[in-house]
Amino acid sequence: MKEVILDCFGEACPVPLVKAQNKMKEMAVGDVLIVQIDHSCAMKNLPDWARGEGHNVEVEETSEGEWEVIIEKTK
Amino acid sequence: MSQLQEFFKKITGHPVYVKWLKDAWPYITGAVLLSLFQIVTLATTGNPWGVSGAFANWGAWILEALGGSVDKWYYFASEGAQATLNAGFLNNPDSWRNVGIIVGALLAVLLASQFKIKKIKSFRQVIAAVLGGLLMGYGARIGFGCNIGALFSGIASLSLSGWVFAIFLFIGAIIGSKLLVKFFM
Amino acid sequence: MSETETGSSIRRSATRAPRKPKPNQLPFALILLVLVIAGALLLNRQGNGIAWYFVTGLVFGYILQRSRFCFTASMRDPYLTGSTQLTRTVLAAFAITTIGFAAIKYGAFRAGQPIPGQGFVVPISFATVIGAFLFGIGMVIAGGCASGTLMRVGEGFFMQMLSMTFFVVGSLWGAHDFGWWKEHVINKGKAVFLPDVFGWFGAVVIQLAVIWMLYMAAEKYHEAKASAGSH
Repeated sequence: MKEVILDCFGEACPVPLVKAQNKMKEMAVGDVLIVQIDHSCAMKNLPDWARGEGHNVEVEETSEGEWEVIIEKTK
Repeated sequence: MSQLQEFFKKITGHPVYVKWLKDAWPYITGAVLLSLFQIVTLATTGNPWGVSGAFANWGAWILEALGGSVDKWYYFASEGAQATLNAGFLNNPDSWRNVGIIVGALLAVLLASQFKIKKIKSFRQVIAAVLGGLLMGYGARIGFGCNIGALFSGIASLSLSGWVFAIFLFIGAIIGSKLLVKFFM
Repeated sequence: MSETETGSSIRRSATRAPRKPKPNQLPFALILLVLVIAGALLLNRQGNGIAWYFVTGLVFGYILQRSRFCFTASMRDPYLTGSTQLTRTVLAAFAITTIGFAAIKYGAFRAGQPIPGQGFVVPISFATVIGAFLFGIGMVIAGGCASGTLMRVGEGFFMQMLSMTFFVVGSLWGAHDFGWWKEHVINKGKAVFLPDVFGWFGAVVIQLAVIWMLYMAAEKYHEAKASAGSH
């Protein structure tokens, strides 16, 4: 089980989502991807996409205006 | 000071506060409210919402401040356009609405305690911003508006131009996505 | 944040560097709120209706930020990510405003008054095609259209401050060339107000039907993309 951190601070839509999608393709089932974002729109569309794909998703507000979207690949 | 900070943290962390002033609304809530105020705007000001028209005036004011003149340009030649330019930024309703959008968004972010300065990270972001801005500005002028004026207000106004704008906007967005993935990521 | 961590079901290593807590921003929000109210009252004293535009701007900005509504994403995501969630909500907005606008316009028409907002019924020409196309490319690259850029400026994005600056430059450039476009392209086009073609009732019904069909197609497309993506 691998854990990958993806730094998307300072990136506006759709960059965090596309980067996360590409990263997820390289990962194996059970791996965890942590996407660091500070864009409030990505805080919504990134979890929406990952949940739609059926992965386990959690969003954590790590600081004022910063979030970590934690995605566990399930398939 | 730290006691005061604790107090503010307590307020913004309260479930009621989180529900009403922090959590993101569903998209559809945004759609309904934007539509409502779009209709309010038409009813109260006699015109639908527009954003990018004011940007041309901002450009003209900056150019005039630098010693240039736009008086001979066809776009600014009409009496109405000249009157708008002469009245200046502070008396321009559309400019104030745009300022309002920036301040309204800032207020929303601060109330949610989620404001953060996001500096430019790389040179490719600079290129993307410059190129994207120029394309939008030029496109909005010859296409009679942006996503608000030409698309949203156009379609709502039962104008066929809104639908034509939508089709080619969609095609442009596909090309833009290809460019973005290839060069700007 | 401890709440989310105890509820966590995803196992992760505790390798994160501890963060310095940043100050809560509520005080700044309250100061800004006072300034905004004072500013609106000051504008109102001019008595030329500008304060109302400022207030509607505030409302639009607040709604855009809180709902993360994004016209750019509605046009971009179907191709880029296969999601039509925002596309469908934008279509819903079109449907609501179609009804509202038609009511206001028809009311004025029946009362024999000039129909408001007809300045937004603009000629369709090759300039519309090129303008929309360029705008579509630009908004995806810049990460936001006009309203989205203003919203992101408020959110603290330096990148969008830069794109807004060049939006202004591009607008000036477009205004400079507008005479040429008008003479050679736009004048060949024609403005089409749908009620002139289909009648008031017909125009609304047809437009709503088109919006509904696009909505259905977007929903189908979304489902097809989602099932294709999960193998």
